[in-house]
Amino acid sequence: MLEIGNLHARIADGREILKGVDLAVKAGEVHAIMGPNGSGKSTLAGVLSGKPGYEVTEGQVLYEGRDLLAMPADERARAGVFLAFQYPVEIPGVNNMYFLRAALNAVRKQRGESEMDAGQFLKAVRAKLKLLEIGEDLLQRGVNVGFSGGEKKRNEIFQMAMLDPKLAILDETDSGLDIDALQMVSRGINALRGPDRAIVMITHYQRLLNYVVPDRVHVLSAGRIVKSGDAALARELEETGYGAYGDAA
Amino acid sequence: MSALAEIQPYVEAFKARPPVPEPSWLVQRRDGAIRRFSELGWPTRKQEAWRFTDLRPLQKSSFPPAAAAGDATEADVAPWRYPNAAHRIVLVDGAFVPALSAIGTLPKGAWLASTSQTLHERPELLEPALRETDVLGGQAFVSLNAALFADGFVLALEPGIALDGAIEIVHLGRAANRSAQLRNLILLGPNSRATLIETYAGAGAYWTNAVGVVGIGIGAVLRHVKLQDEDEAAIHFGHNRIELGRDARYENFTLSLGGRLARTDIHLKLDGEGAACGLYGATLLRDEQEGTIATVVDHAAPHGTTREYFKSVAADRAHGVFLGTIGVRPQAQKTDANQLSKNLLLSRRAAIDTKPELEILADDVKCSHGATVGDLDEAALFYLESRGIPVAEARRMLIEAFATEVIERIEDDAVLRAHLSRHVARWLAAGIAR
Repeated sequence: MLEIGNLHARIADGREILKGVDLAVKAGEVHAIMGPNGSGKSTLAGVLSGKPGYEVTEGQVLYEGRDLLAMPADERARAGVFLAFQYPVEIPGVNNMYFLRAALNAVRKQRGESEMDAGQFLKAVRAKLKLLEIGEDLLQRGVNVGFSGGEKKRNEIFQMAMLDPKLAILDETDSGLDIDALQMVSRGINALRGPDRAIVMITHYQRLLNYVVPDRVHVLSAGRIVKSGDAALARELEETGYGAYGDAA
Repeated sequence: MSALAEIQPYVEAFKARPPVPEPSWLVQRRDGAIRRFSELGWPTRKQEAWRFTDLRPLQKSSFPPAAAAGDATEADVAPWRYPNAAHRIVLVDGAFVPALSAIGTLPKGAWLASTSQTLHERPELLEPALRETDVLGGQAFVSLNAALFADGFVLALEPGIALDGAIEIVHLGRAANRSAQLRNLILLGPNSRATLIETYAGAGAYWTNAVGVVGIGIGAVLRHVKLQDEDEAAIHFGHNRIELGRDARYENFTLSLGGRLARTDIHLKLDGEGAACGLYGATLLRDEQEGTIATVVDHAAPHGTTREYFKSVAADRAHGVFLGTIGVRPQAQKTDANQLSKNLLLSRRAAIDTKPELEILADDVKCSHGATVGDLDEAALFYLESRGIPVAEARRMLIEAFATEVIERIEDDAVLRAHLSRHVARWLAAGIAR
C-alpha cells in the first residue's frame, strides 16, 4: 500500500531532516515509527500528508502504486490517506458537524458514493461518537474550539473512523493523554484495524504500543530508519532508551 | 473632465427639474444646497476623509436623477426579501412603488410612509430634519442629495410606541447612468422602539446616493440594519447622521457586498447622558470593487458607550477602507468606547487601508481601539485540506467563518443572523479568483 524509497526532505530553512527513509507498509499491517526528538518523525508525517513547508529533494513515495508526492493534500485525503494531527488545529467559526459533513461528502464523492443527507450523516456520527465517548455537544462547536487536549486527540480518531481511510498516519496521537484517554483512543484505533487498512503510528513513547500492538516497529534516527523489528523492539527501546540511536537526552 | 465639467450635469439636472409644488422652505433649501454643491465639487484625495477612496468610477460618467421608477416586479425584490418583515416599503430608482410595498397595520402614533407622501401630508415632520443636513460632514454628496432628492422613507414614532415586527425597506436601482437621490428620515420619540432592515440592491450601472437622518429620543431603541448588495457595476453612497438622546440605544449592522464603488458613512452623536451605540459590520470585496466604511462617533455627554467592530475581506484586486473616529468631548466623562477593525487580505493585489482614531478630551474614560490585517490561517487551511475538502471550498469555509463571526455578535435575533449569513454564503458561492 505504501512504499517509501530513499526519501530525502528538507524544511524551509534548508536543513535536511529526512536523509534516505525506506519503508514498506502492506494493507492490514500496523507499523510503529519510533525515534528520539528531532529524528524526523513529524517531518515524515508532514511529507506524507502534504503539509506545506517541506521540500522533497530525493526519493519517492508510492501509495497504491501512485506517486503520492505529486498529489495535493486534499487529493491525498480523498484517495484514502488520513493524518491524525499531533496538534489538531482550532478553527473558530467553522462548525464541527458542518466541517465533517463537507469532508465526508468530498471523500464519498471521490469513491463514487452518493452524498449523505443530514439524517444519514447524523446516524453515522452517533454510532462513531459512542466508540470514542465524545459528547454530541462538542460537535456543535467550532472545529476543536474549546476542546481539552484529550478531546482533540479523540476527535482526530473520531474523524478517522468517519472518513474510513485506507492509510492512517497517526502523529504522536498518544502525547498529552492521560491513561483513560489513552485507552479510549487505543480502543478506537484497534476498532479500525482491518485487512484493507494500513496504520502508521508515529510515537516517541512505547506506552501506546501496549494497547495497540504493532506488526512492525521501526526506529527513526537522524532522518533514517536504522532498525526494524517486531513488537519486541518497542519493549526493548523502553528499557534501553534511544541512547544507542543518537539521542543525548 | 475638469472638476467643473464633472459636476455640471447635476447642476443642469437641478435646473431642468419639472416643477413640483413644494413648501417654500424646501425650495429655499434646495437652492442653497445646489449652490453649496457647486462650490464644493467632488471631494478630492487631499481631504483626509476621502484620501483612500478612488472616485473615478463616479467621475468618468454622469448620473442625473432617474425621472421615475423603472419597471420592477416581485421577482426583482424576492432575493432580498426579509423573512420576518411586518411592513415593507420598496423604492425603485429613488421613487416609492406602492404596488411592491405593503405597510401593515400601524399603532396610533406611528408614521411610516414614503418621503414624498410625508411631504404632502406631514411636512412638519420633515422640516426640522432637513434644516441643516446639506452641510452634514461638509460633503458634496449630501448637498447634492439635499438639492435633488425626490423620495425615500420616513419612520416617526411618538413616545412609547414599540413596533414589534421588523420594517423592511428595499431600494432597487434599475436605471443605467441615472442616480437615485434618496432622503430617509427616522424619528423615534422617547421610549419608542423599532427594527429596520434596509436593503440596497439592483441591476446595472446606476448610482445610489442615500442620506438618512436619524433621531433617537430619550430611552428609545433602534436596531438598524443595512444590507448593501448593489450591482457590481453600480455606485453606492450612503450617509447616515444619527443623534442619540439620554439612555437611547442605536444598534447598527452594515453588511456590504456589492457595488463597483461603495461607501457607507455613519456620523453618530451621543448627545444625552448614558446613550449607547453598537456599530458592527462586514464588508466583502472582490474583482475591482472599492469599499469604504467611515464612522465618526462623537461622545458629547457623560456615561456613553460605543461598541464598534468592523471586518472586511478583500480578494482579487479589490480595495477596502475603514476609517473610524471616536471623539470624546471634555464633558463626556465615564465614556466607555472600543473599536476594532479586522481585515482579511486574500490576494497580493488586493489592498486594505484601515485607520482607527481616538480623539479623547475627557480624562476619566475607558477607550480602546485596534486594527489587524492578515491572510487566511495556513494551519487551518491545511487541516481542512487534510480531510479531503478541496482547497477552494476550504478557503470559502474560512472566509465565511471570518465574516460570520461578527454577525454572531448580533444579540437576540436568530432570524436576522440567519438572513445576513445567508447573503454572505450566497456572495461566497459566486466565487472569487485569487
